[in-house]
Amino acid sequence: MTFFPFESLVGIQRELGMVVGVLIGFGFGFTLERAGFGRAQKLVGQFYGYDLTVFKVMFGAIVTAMLGLVVLSGLGLADFRAVAEKAASSTYLWPMLVGGLLLGAGFIISGYCPGTSWVATASGKLDGLATVAGVIVGQVAYAELLSIPAVARFHNSGDLGSLFLWDLLKLPNRAGPPIVAIAVTVMAVGCFIGAEKLEKVLATRADPAARATPAGRSGRFVFAGLAASALTGLALVALPTGTQAARQPRTIAPLDLARSVVDEPWKVRVLDLRDAKACGEKRIPGSECVPPADLGKLGLSYVNPARTLVLVAEGDLPAPPKEALAYGGELWVLQGGWQAWQAFALEPPQPPGPGATPAELELFRLRAGLQSALTGMKAAPPPPPPTAAPAGPPRKGGGGCGS
Amino acid sequence: MERNPDKFWNPYLAGAVLGLVLLSAFVVMGKGLGASNTSLRLGVTAIEAVAPGHVAATPSLARTRAEGHPLDNWLVFEVVGVLLGGFVAAYTSGRLKKETLKGPRISTPARWGMAFLGGALMGGAAYMGRGCTSGQALTGGALLSAGAWVFMFSVFGGGYALAYFVRRAWR
Repeated sequence: MTFFPFESLVGIQRELGMVVGVLIGFGFGFTLERAGFGRAQKLVGQFYGYDLTVFKVMFGAIVTAMLGLVVLSGLGLADFRAVAEKAASSTYLWPMLVGGLLLGAGFIISGYCPGTSWVATASGKLDGLATVAGVIVGQVAYAELLSIPAVARFHNSGDLGSLFLWDLLKLPNRAGPPIVAIAVTVMAVGCFIGAEKLEKVLATRADPAARATPAGRSGRFVFAGLAASALTGLALVALPTGTQAARQPRTIAPLDLARSVVDEPWKVRVLDLRDAKACGEKRIPGSECVPPADLGKLGLSYVNPARTLVLVAEGDLPAPPKEALAYGGELWVLQGGWQAWQAFALEPPQPPGPGATPAELELFRLRAGLQSALTGMKAAPPPPPPTAAPAGPPRKGGGGCGS
Repeated sequence: MERNPDKFWNPYLAGAVLGLVLLSAFVVMGKGLGASNTSLRLGVTAIEAVAPGHVAATPSLARTRAEGHPLDNWLVFEVVGVLLGGFVAAYTSGRLKKETLKGPRISTPARWGMAFLGGALMGGAAYMGRGCTSGQALTGGALLSAGAWVFMFSVFGGGYALAYFVRRAWR
């Protein structure tokens, strides 16, 4: 589903990824400085009410990035949930609540947040440099404290896994982000208007060096852009390109599926749609027996879309059930279904005759290896019953800042 | 280019540009922005120079070495970019100057002490909250993570709660 190959950029083209990291960081640092975030007085103005730039820039950025990702997901160029799973950390309610309060306290004491302290340092501010040093000490000190069991227990308390606002509202992964995004945008624009009014009221008390920049024409231009993006995001959910009905699952050849199942079984989830009896007798290793009637119980539109879903029918499957189409991640259909699998993987291949090309020899070796690996196994144990709709996707470990 | 140190970008325009930077990180890298994790990595590097065995014996520090050297990480390169971007922006706007920013009623050493203290508090808090204002509030907030929104409101809550008591540092 994800159009841009960020996985390969991180994995194989690591150096290129690091260069992109410097470029993106450059944009981040440049923008923060130009917004005035290299200056402590401008930042703390937020907490004394005379300059609400922190709030405006931060919510402006959140809404822009959110709507951008909503629109790209609506166009099928990205997958909101997949990106969110990858780039956002899991929710640990209590440490996040307490950590937020302490970070806010540290913010008003030091005058910077960790990111803006780097920018202040780069622009020559010695108080920024002191904050940078403090953050380093604080990070290491807390990491050391984690060896105390009580601290570690608190650090991992309130673990709710990957939890997103649309999960809380029980919305599916496809329509959820645009709906919540609209609500956030409306709220943010309402708050922006309120912030302008508040600044006008408090302006007389302001330090002239740290006066807020009024919204002006470019502000209205940004509001209009946000409104247009929000409407586009919502419209794309309703358009045919955005619905699952238009989704054409790709087919996977038995050879490729066999490679996946043997080499990287953690990357695929194979659902066998044949009736339970046939599936119970013989099935692809690691597959789940899910007759089409039971598909709805899997809650495929809610589960973590990280793995590729592969559907196996008796033969070809021209129109996959809509429950499967609701799955957020990659969806594949086994070409030729079970019959093709049986013919390919479970019957011994003909040894190539003399004069066979190297490619033919290679294929024979692979098939022979697969055949012995797949048939040499003990008879499969009785299939596990299909699991009922899981409440939430699997949890992942928490990361540091942005990891 | 006009160099007026008191002239800043329109906040909404700056927000939109920052949002596009964040969006490009999402789309190209599948990552968000971050700042505080690099601090941990710098700290680990320093500790390794002083007490080599200590990092390996402490799991919470050793995990920064999962990819090899603690500084061999995307977020570290991103912060290098932040420093470069901040420097260029400060230079071109006339704000590049060695100085200490503070309110009129506080001495410079006291301001440094408060900056360090506040930084240390934020360092611990950012580890606890799985990210700081960049990595958690901004990135997670844009991705509609429930925990990030809790964190973000807490940050504003903590700041407002303490603002009155430290007003002497600023006003």
